Amino acid sequence: MTRHIHIVKVHLLTLAFPTGKDPDPKPVLDDVDFGIRDGEILGLIGNSGSGKTMTSLAIAGLLPEAASITSGSIKFAGKDLLEMDPKERRAMLGRDIGMIFQEPSTALDPLMTCGKQLEEVLTAHKDLKMTPEERHKAIMDMLETVGFDNAEELFSRYPHQLSGGQRQRVLIAGAALLKPRLLICDEPTSSLDTVTTVSILALLKDLCHKLHITILFISHDLSAVRGFCDRVMVMKDGRIIDRDTASDILTNPRNSYTAELLTNARLDTRILGFEPATVDYSRSPVLTAKGITAGYKRSLFERVKKNGGDEAEDKNVLHDVSLEVFPNEILGLIGGSGSGKTTLIRSLLGLLPHEGTVNIRSSSTGAIFQDPVSCLNPAHTVKWHLTEALRASGKKTAGTLKERRERTYARITGVLEECGLGEEYLLRRPNELSGGQRQRVAIAMCLIQEPSLIIADEPFSSLDASSSAELLKIMTDINRERNTAFLLITHNIHIVRKIAPRVIVMSNGRICEEGTTAEVLGNPRSEAAAALLEAERLIHGN
Amino acid sequence: MQGKAGYFVGKLIELLVTLLLVSLLVFAAFSIIPGDTARVMLGPDASQAQVDLLRAELGLDRPLVIRYFSWLFGLFTFNPGTSYAYNMSVGELIAQRLPVTIGMSAVAMIMVILISYPLAVISARKPGRAGDQICSVIGHILFAIPPYVASLLLILLASSVFSLMTAGTYVKPSDDFAGYIGCLLLPSFAIALPKIAMSFKFLRSSIIEQRTADYVRTSKSHGLSDLKILVRHVLPNSNVSSITIISIILSDILGGSLIVEQVFNLPGLGRLLLSAISRRDFPLLSGIVFYLAFITVILYFISDIAASLADPRIRLK
Repeated sequence: MTRHIHIVKVHLLTLAFPTGKDPDPKPVLDDVDFGIRDGEILGLIGNSGSGKTMTSLAIAGLLPEAASITSGSIKFAGKDLLEMDPKERRAMLGRDIGMIFQEPSTALDPLMTCGKQLEEVLTAHKDLKMTPEERHKAIMDMLETVGFDNAEELFSRYPHQLSGGQRQRVLIAGAALLKPRLLICDEPTSSLDTVTTVSILALLKDLCHKLHITILFISHDLSAVRGFCDRVMVMKDGRIIDRDTASDILTNPRNSYTAELLTNARLDTRILGFEPATVDYSRSPVLTAKGITAGYKRSLFERVKKNGGDEAEDKNVLHDVSLEVFPNEILGLIGGSGSGKTTLIRSLLGLLPHEGTVNIRSSSTGAIFQDPVSCLNPAHTVKWHLTEALRASGKKTAGTLKERRERTYARITGVLEECGLGEEYLLRRPNELSGGQRQRVAIAMCLIQEPSLIIADEPFSSLDASSSAELLKIMTDINRERNTAFLLITHNIHIVRKIAPRVIVMSNGRICEEGTTAEVLGNPRSEAAAALLEAERLIHGN
Repeated sequence: MQGKAGYFVGKLIELLVTLLLVSLLVFAAFSIIPGDTARVMLGPDASQAQVDLLRAELGLDRPLVIRYFSWLFGLFTFNPGTSYAYNMSVGELIAQRLPVTIGMSAVAMIMVILISYPLAVISARKPGRAGDQICSVIGHILFAIPPYVASLLLILLASSVFSLMTAGTYVKPSDDFAGYIGCLLLPSFAIALPKIAMSFKFLRSSIIEQRTADYVRTSKSHGLSDLKILVRHVLPNSNVSSITIISIILSDILGGSLIVEQVFNLPGLGRLLLSAISRRDFPLLSGIVFYLAFITVILYFISDIAASLADPRIRLK
């Protein structure tokens, strides 16, 4: 095969989703034109809905059935992909083009062992003619390459027995198994914690050098491409609006939109205007938790079978956790995945049986969760959600039905406006909102109950940088103006540093460090805090 | 791995406890029902001494607890007493009738699977297209027809309109196995019809759901063909949820066959059950009820085990 400088050449690609009602809709990709050079790592950055995933799917030939390419061409190593018949293109998948996706937890078949799924990559390409032993060896080698010491053991594991980072490694192994020339990575790290992200990025870089794989790296986080990508392109509304070498784009953005993305990614407090309220620590705390020990209960049978006391100890996820949240305070709670953060929240909210006491002073506590998609009822409108939340708060008001209705309406629109959504959103359903907007509705549902404490469990992890920045702004505004305290759980240290005056670090179900943010993050005493900081430094730079 | 063995042992204990509870309920129900069996058998003219004698003979004068345990022991040795009406061992009576009911249920179940699976796969390929719409509409109609109505319609069609069979014939499996299956086909189909619709609807939506799963996209990116993805990933995953539905359908079919037997005049458990009720034949009645419950509980047990075999997430916590 002749060597091309550009392994992939996308020429003036336009793509739309025509429907019966609207045969000529606004294109999702609009004259996209770029090349991927052989052996490089090319970053493709943009907010959600900018068209970056559609671009990658178009190259891989995995576009949804409704999509239609109206003009342009995609060439892979000189061959026009759009001219090929589907069978030929499918044969290229896995062999010439590998792909990994955002959500490693669902990207593997839960019923099949990892080894079997990897083997399918090899058996799918019939012309390979490998013996079972050769296949097994190829898989073992690749599993070792992606960093598994216990490849043999992993081969017979099911996906649910692996952590998120391990699953992503298995997926990378599958994508790289046939040593494709191009590896498309669609947000491979956005659902992983910082420490895992660093290791996955290092692995990808390693693959690029060792196996000479060209990588197209798609992300919504501009800062994640630092030190990883050679070149970066920025997409907005289906167009590529900026392209440059990674270092130039990060240090000296020429395009105003790129600059905005950078600002959002860095969460620059001066520009974005985050001003959390000042906290008076002499006042009595809004939430006091003492000696919380909790775990996931075993079934009755399991408990009867082995009534050993020491085994029961092992099942606990939390061990003797105590914390206080003061009025007006934004308390950061950080820790790697599996450190017990979410279990703690569930205990605090009374969703999980636990030992120890939880004392919440205020009448109501709000909660926002990680996944705004599954938190809202898809069948109902924003207005219904807010009315329901208001009713649940149980605050009855006097007056006739009409008066009450008007008052409810006024409160709903007021709260919604505070969360940055206009009246026009009242009748929308969750699937008509973006991730950031859904998270705002979730906050509005808390706010309408006028809580003095809002517990937010990883509210940013599914949002892009701009939406995160906007959400943070809303949260600090609420904190300042309404004197609402926040308990903010996140694995993003960057955010904690910007807005939380005090921080708690959790590791292995225990609080391992506690103090003012400057103190803890400036001079970490515990290993867990140091590891989190190191990972953050590698990704975001300092 | 100990989790696997532990799971099976746990399920087995659950099964035994359930069976004991079922036996207790059945026994309690027939003990509470008012009326003296001996008096009923001998008629109103019999003297008290005659009645007492018969009571002693039937063992009705013993304490309740002892009667329960001897009955329970009889159940597990397949000899739960003697039928008053037939003057035969209950176990023997049930064994005679069982081939009809079990055979009919089995044939119906096979029909359900053979018809609903391919239809669901075809329908789910292109949801919303004409083929899918037609299948769905027919499914809705079939779903609404109760088995006894379907039986009458089928008898009418098969014997009067097309003269394919004579209604009410039954061939013993030991005489002619093909004939035995042949005479069960029509009644089985009558029971199976609404269940086909049910299983079709469920499978179809489950396949459609699985087709959009993330792992399907991964498999596509690995270069697998659509057929391979369907057979190796989509169907096994939709089976996990279908197994529970299938077991519910199976116990429904068992219940349905009791009624359809009447319509087709087949000598199955259903007819035995009805005659036992009308003659106050408590040993026979309690025997039939218990063994039917026993079969149902075993079916659920099997489906639980099958579900765990199909889904490693249940098996290996």
